[in-house]
Amino acid sequence: MRKMKTVSMLLVVSLALLGLAGCGGNNNNSNAANNGNTASTDANATNTKNTKDTKAKDPVTLSFVIPNTVDTAPFTQLFGEFEKQTGNKVELQALPGGEFDNMMKTRFSTGDFPDLFLMQPGTKQYVKLRADEMLREWSGDVDVWARIIPSMKDAQTLDGKIYGVPYGATGMYGVFYNKDVFTKAGVEPPKNYADLIEIAKKIKATGVTPFYEGVKDGWPAQIFYLTGWVSNVDPAIGDEGVAKLQTNELKMNNIPELKNLFTKQKELIDLGLYQDNVLAGTFDEMQTMLGEGKAAMVFNLDGIIPQLEKKFGKEFVNDKLGFFPFPSDTDQGVAVVTPPNQLMIPTQAKHADAAVELVKFMLTKEMTDMYYAAAPGIPIFEDAKVDLVPVQQTVKDLIEAGKSKINIQNRLTPVFADFQKLLQIFFIDGDVDKAYKDFAANYEKDGKSKLLEGFK
Amino acid sequence: MKGRKYPLYFAFPALAVFLLFFITPTVIGFYYSFTDWNINADTISFNGLDNYRALFQEPRLLTAFKNTLIFAAAVTVFQNVLGLGLALILNEALKAKNFLRMIFFMPYVISPIVIGYIFRAIYHPSNGIINHVLNSVGLGFMAQDWLNNPKFALFSIIMTDLWRVTGFSMVVYLAGLQFISKDLIESSSIDGAHYWQRFRFIVFPLLAASLTVNVLLAMINSMKIFEMVMVLTDGGPGYTTEVFFTYIRNMFSTGQFGYATAVNLMLFVLVTLIGVPVLMGLKKREMEY
Repeated sequence: MRKMKTVSMLLVVSLALLGLAGCGGNNNNSNAANNGNTASTDANATNTKNTKDTKAKDPVTLSFVIPNTVDTAPFTQLFGEFEKQTGNKVELQALPGGEFDNMMKTRFSTGDFPDLFLMQPGTKQYVKLRADEMLREWSGDVDVWARIIPSMKDAQTLDGKIYGVPYGATGMYGVFYNKDVFTKAGVEPPKNYADLIEIAKKIKATGVTPFYEGVKDGWPAQIFYLTGWVSNVDPAIGDEGVAKLQTNELKMNNIPELKNLFTKQKELIDLGLYQDNVLAGTFDEMQTMLGEGKAAMVFNLDGIIPQLEKKFGKEFVNDKLGFFPFPSDTDQGVAVVTPPNQLMIPTQAKHADAAVELVKFMLTKEMTDMYYAAAPGIPIFEDAKVDLVPVQQTVKDLIEAGKSKINIQNRLTPVFADFQKLLQIFFIDGDVDKAYKDFAANYEKDGKSKLLEGFK
Repeated sequence: MKGRKYPLYFAFPALAVFLLFFITPTVIGFYYSFTDWNINADTISFNGLDNYRALFQEPRLLTAFKNTLIFAAAVTVFQNVLGLGLALILNEALKAKNFLRMIFFMPYVISPIVIGYIFRAIYHPSNGIINHVLNSVGLGFMAQDWLNNPKFALFSIIMTDLWRVTGFSMVVYLAGLQFISKDLIESSSIDGAHYWQRFRFIVFPLLAASLTVNVLLAMINSMKIFEMVMVLTDGGPGYTTEVFFTYIRNMFSTGQFGYATAVNLMLFVLVTLIGVPVLMGLKKREMEY
């Protein structure tokens, strides 16, 4: 018995020791890794000062966090070039777009800092992320701003400080349509909202679904309202009204033009202008239906362009895809634009210096041209070489003609919380009053949960 | 060694792990459920019963509560009925019984997320196999938008989960059936008992231990359902298939940690309140064999 006990005790002790040894081993390894990283960061800092073509002696792997709603392909190309030049690798971590803000904030609060990350646009992100304590400041980096359009730099500035470097293209929201379907139905882009309904009815008469909506995926259904806002709500409440919404002085349920958007969508449902099984609609099927000419129009954003190109080729995007803004009751309306996302570096990032080097590398003309070749879009660099597809050129022309407005979601700190779910219910019960009331209540609830002034 | 018990300290490592990774977070969670812990706040302060007051006023939570109970009740009952039925059939001298046992158990080892994606395709209203079959046999009027029609969405999730878990119950019942002496069955047959009588008075009572395990596990696991709902409907359309864990996830993702912890704690209390009496009731009817 005693022998048995001794053997058991020995086994338990040796297992415990093994466990401890395992932990100790890890610590040693991570210490070694940390030492190595520090050394390589130092090496990178020296590298930046000297020459970009010299590879780092001890290459590091940078962590780059990105929302999964952003196409990673152009970044992957750039990072490949960066690795060739410096030896440093970049590991992409894609987090869910809808929860990106909170996931980043959670990572910040637990000290799990990425080396750099791509954040949604707007200086409101500075407040969210407590930028003055947590993020690298860029206003003094003359070389960074040398090629960026001045208005973009202004948009990034808050109290004279800049914590994010804009990167990418100006985004666009509106109505994308299949030109072939329009030609067959003998219709042109609408002159006003009533015209849009007439066009849809004519298209339906040819046997094609006038509008496809991705209700199942949720987010596409919101675009009807975001695009409708700038043409219908903004003219009514003005920038002053938006400022009041920001502080809860103006309530969402006191804007008749907003309620009218719900009424308008109800009209589309009642007229049977959406596809069959609209509740099962997805973004993926939306592309297919539009590309195959089975659906004529979709309310969507520029993210659909590369998807359509992948499925139907460049020719389709260049020749068959059209764009127009959500029309107002009286005119053609204005296009929704979104500022590009911004690159940010936490001050406590493990490889902050190498991350700065990467940002500066990404801003070189060669790299921005490479980016726009992979993801053409309305550029934010003065001398960028980019071949815009026709729908992007349409929006660029609208911007230059002053017929564009920044997405309302980029102008407000509270978000339209649970909007996707609300719209799914709306597509089921068609209750305009309820949807409008819930929309206003959810907006206030989000402001309250964010502890914003005027909402608390 | 015979008749002697192992010393208590042998349990210490396991207890330490349990204490560290289960008891401690539960106690800490209990504390946080009484705070205003929010991702946007600099400090965390005690807010009494505010979170609990808020959650009882939230209609979405009521929907989640109702759906979770419907789901748990349906899955627990049918998982056991079907699992027992399969076990009884596959306990007979069938040629392909081992193969069939493997086939029925296989869904249980596949990730619920993978199963969810497969069934999303199966349930698709235009391209899904179910509606295709219904249309091809002249039952097109029964074709539905299975996951997006609020009347059928929860039902479709229940059916999918049943397909996944029935094999597990079957295996537990099969194990129980192996322990029933053939002598008992044979002697009852000689005494003239027919199949149903043998099942009701001999087999089913002797399967009590298997029933306890199966019912309890089915109930607890189905009350904690998350992945399947997440993949198939994400609680939608709207909130029509919202369950406790999709709601809790949503609250955590909006940064309302204190409130989400309170909801989580409520689910823990609910599972305990239902689970303990069920366990005691089932244990009572277990008999020594």
